[in-house]
Amino acid sequence: MTKNSDHRDLFSGALELMILHSLRLKPMHGYALVKHIRQVSDDLLQIEEGSLYPALQRMLKQGLLDSEAGVSAKGRPTRIYRLTKAGRRRLEQEFSSFEKMFAGITRVLAVAKV
Amino acid sequence: MGWPFIRRRRYADLSVSIQEHLEEKVDELMESGMSREEATRTAKREFGNVTLYEQQSREVWQRANLESIAMDVRFAIRQLRKSPGFTFMAVLIMALGIGANTAIFSVVHAVLLEPLPYQDPDRLVHLWHVPPQSSFPGMTQFAVSAANFLDWQKQNTVFSGMALGSGGGFDLTGQGKPESIAVGTVNYNFFSLLGTQPIYGRVFVPQEDQPGHDHEIILTYKLWQSRFGADPNVVGRSVTLDGSPYIVVGVMGPKMTKPDFAQAWVPLGLTQEEAAVRGEHHYYAIARLKPGVSIAQAQAEMNTISHRLEQAYPADDKGWGAVVISMRDELVGDVRPALLMMLGAVGFVLLIACANVANLIFARALSRRKEISIRSALGASRGRIVQPLLTEAVLLSLCGGVFGLVLAHFGIDLLVKFFADKLPRMGDIGLSNTVLVFTLVLSIATGLLSGILPAWSMIKADVSEALKQGVGRLDSDSGSGLTRSVLVSVEVALSLVLFIGAGLMLRSLWNLQAVDPGFDPHHTLTATLEIPRHQFTTPVQESQFLDQLVARIRALPGVEGAGTVDNLPLQGGSNQPVAIEGRPVVPMSEQPEVSVRVVTPGYSSAMRIPLLEGRDIQQSDSANSEAVVVISKSMANQFWPHESAIGHHLKLTFLPDKERTVVGVVGDVKQQGLDSAAGIATLYYPAAQTGDSSMGPWRPFSMSLVVRTQNAPETLTPVITNVVGQVNSSIPLDNVMTLDAWIGSNLTQPSFNMQLLAIFGLLALVLCAIGIYSVLAYAVKRRMREIGLRLAFGASLRHVAAEVIAQGMKPTLIGIGVGLAAAIAMGHVVASLIYGVSARDFATFVAATLIIVVIAFGASIVPALRATRVDPLKVLHEE
Repeated sequence: MTKNSDHRDLFSGALELMILHSLRLKPMHGYALVKHIRQVSDDLLQIEEGSLYPALQRMLKQGLLDSEAGVSAKGRPTRIYRLTKAGRRRLEQEFSSFEKMFAGITRVLAVAKV
Repeated sequence: MGWPFIRRRRYADLSVSIQEHLEEKVDELMESGMSREEATRTAKREFGNVTLYEQQSREVWQRANLESIAMDVRFAIRQLRKSPGFTFMAVLIMALGIGANTAIFSVVHAVLLEPLPYQDPDRLVHLWHVPPQSSFPGMTQFAVSAANFLDWQKQNTVFSGMALGSGGGFDLTGQGKPESIAVGTVNYNFFSLLGTQPIYGRVFVPQEDQPGHDHEIILTYKLWQSRFGADPNVVGRSVTLDGSPYIVVGVMGPKMTKPDFAQAWVPLGLTQEEAAVRGEHHYYAIARLKPGVSIAQAQAEMNTISHRLEQAYPADDKGWGAVVISMRDELVGDVRPALLMMLGAVGFVLLIACANVANLIFARALSRRKEISIRSALGASRGRIVQPLLTEAVLLSLCGGVFGLVLAHFGIDLLVKFFADKLPRMGDIGLSNTVLVFTLVLSIATGLLSGILPAWSMIKADVSEALKQGVGRLDSDSGSGLTRSVLVSVEVALSLVLFIGAGLMLRSLWNLQAVDPGFDPHHTLTATLEIPRHQFTTPVQESQFLDQLVARIRALPGVEGAGTVDNLPLQGGSNQPVAIEGRPVVPMSEQPEVSVRVVTPGYSSAMRIPLLEGRDIQQSDSANSEAVVVISKSMANQFWPHESAIGHHLKLTFLPDKERTVVGVVGDVKQQGLDSAAGIATLYYPAAQTGDSSMGPWRPFSMSLVVRTQNAPETLTPVITNVVGQVNSSIPLDNVMTLDAWIGSNLTQPSFNMQLLAIFGLLALVLCAIGIYSVLAYAVKRRMREIGLRLAFGASLRHVAAEVIAQGMKPTLIGIGVGLAAAIAMGHVVASLIYGVSARDFATFVAATLIIVVIAFGASIVPALRATRVDPLKVLHEE
């Protein structure tokens, strides 16, 4: 599905997709990201919170994200992550391929029903 | 992005992010009513392994820029500095192994792998006759006849070019002191066929390859340097060869050394008569395969043509075939088995070295086991654990490689000196770029090979088990103990194979030295009389000169006897058909062939070849008296098995004007080489009775002088040189040496094989001993506590020592079993290189095995003694 060799499995790809998707709205720091992902995935994505950080570093390295010094809601120093242009493009790509896949699945299921 | 300081900032940022994450979470959890401790615990649980994630996050940046490798290298250097003893041993072992391999490989590379210095050399071949096996049993290559060559040239469709060549001695005069030079006489297209260009001037043109127009000469680089002072204006100059003027038309580059004896080339310029000779074989032929034609295809066509010629010219060609051999095989085919065997042997040495270093690394890795276990428990990945160990091993082997190159540098000098002119293409040997790359790759591979086993056992080691134990109490390494025993077995097996190889070579050399050559080489001086081409116009003149010379030499004080022969024993010589009186007359191609030697009276007695029957050739056997021959015992047995050969008549087909009478039978002499079959049928006839040849104008042949002396033969060298100069000042005396030295030069190759293998065997022996010792010493150190306990409970010292020795001997015995099996299986590899001993010689196998057993036992004794000196109280106190 993706060309990136760093994606060791579907799980890691899914996590990164969710990070891209979450940051699409606004830049966030790590903990906020975790909370957001938890919320939108209805806790379906059972991950250790820490696994977010290697994923963030991978995406920083690929240029999908940018980070800057900032403060959390509680006023503590942290890093704020934001999407780059490349990140936005990647998100669109992933979306369209997801959509294509879902469309395919839907069609197959529809045929099966007949 | 790859700069370390940027990375360090990233790591700091990462820690800040994670730190904030945890604190924020704790705050939230506390807001929902948890206590601080509970909140902290929950936050950490839900986050997962902080260290692991932090490390993983960092690795994202490290992978690409090899930072971790740099870190490992720094770490490895620190570690190695801490244990200089270990480092020294490991580097030394690697240097020996890699150095030996580099030296041998540089020879193999230059001789076997480097392409020949010609254009598209893989398409170049040599063509030879295959003589009828009835006349030349066992011979597969024979010189080419001119008429047959011309027919091959006309009829074949597989070669894009063919050239004929021969050679001879010419007198070079008028350029300083007269000198006899070896000249290659070649077809005009010889050079263009090879695709070599002259550095000055040009090559021959077709008209120059005609009799009467063939007075041009092309110089070799060497002759140009030595005789013409590297004069760039030499082209166009006239030089005098055998009294006639030749024009220098070109100078070839230093790499053009074909045929290898040639100091210069002149056109072959065959006359019509020479070109028509079919039944005599004096030439070599080279050819270039057309594109897309394989050697097998060319061979098939040559078979067809040979068959056709057999039918057309049965008198000359019956039974004569042809063979196509690639130029590379022609050049190096003889030495390839020996070189490849050496490469194999030295490879074994390297494997043993690897096993040894692996053992050393093992011992160190085990003592670092706790450190590794802790890192593993903290979440270091397998890669991060294996990498430092491998880095350390590769670092060691690279250091070994550097010192190995130094060793190889001297080793190559030694090899070149030893091989001298025994090997073709020796000039090219050295530490070329290819050899350096080979050494680099070999070093890295050696390191990885040595490091991989210890590293593997570290990954497999049970982490929690290791952690539960204290540092001093690590005795549960039974798994790696097994691996180390296997390493010992491997070392023993490899060493044993090497020993057996060296032993077989030693036996061969002894056998060769014990061979009775059929003559007495002691107290005998030999020298070559290079007789120039136009020195004598009739055979009588030459034999008169020889008689005069030999008479003068015999009269010298301290000389017991003297004579001359055209070819000394061991170096081969002329084979000719003979017609025996009373046998059916058959065409030449069906006549039996015998070795034919031209001698002057006194040769046999000077050589101490025993006279068995009749009389020897005498001074009275002159051109005008009855023609006589003396034959070898084998020849007498072959032709007159049930009666005396004396008084029978025969004719030499090439010298058919005289009927010759057998007047004597002498003992057999090894004509072809010490390892050749005994008893080659040989015929000697007096030089005075050479008579007229059927080969056209007579040409004198060079003779070897043999002088038997009372005292050290070398002392007579100046006197004899002086006498030759007095009798005929234009005949140079060459290759003055004792017959003992002459035999010695024939033993160079086998003795060199033996010495090299013995050196490798010795190296293997030392490495093997170190290996067994280190394994046992280490095992004893680890079992100190157990041994102490058992001694405390009353185990006898002898029992403990015996057990330690048994621990060392078990893998040794297994290794011996494997090694013997391997040596038996590999017998065919050395079969062609040994003489007079079976490749599975029982005595050699037993001796080699005994040596290994003794060495292994010796290596076990010190650790065993140490075990008996364990003080139970002290060991138990350490608990």
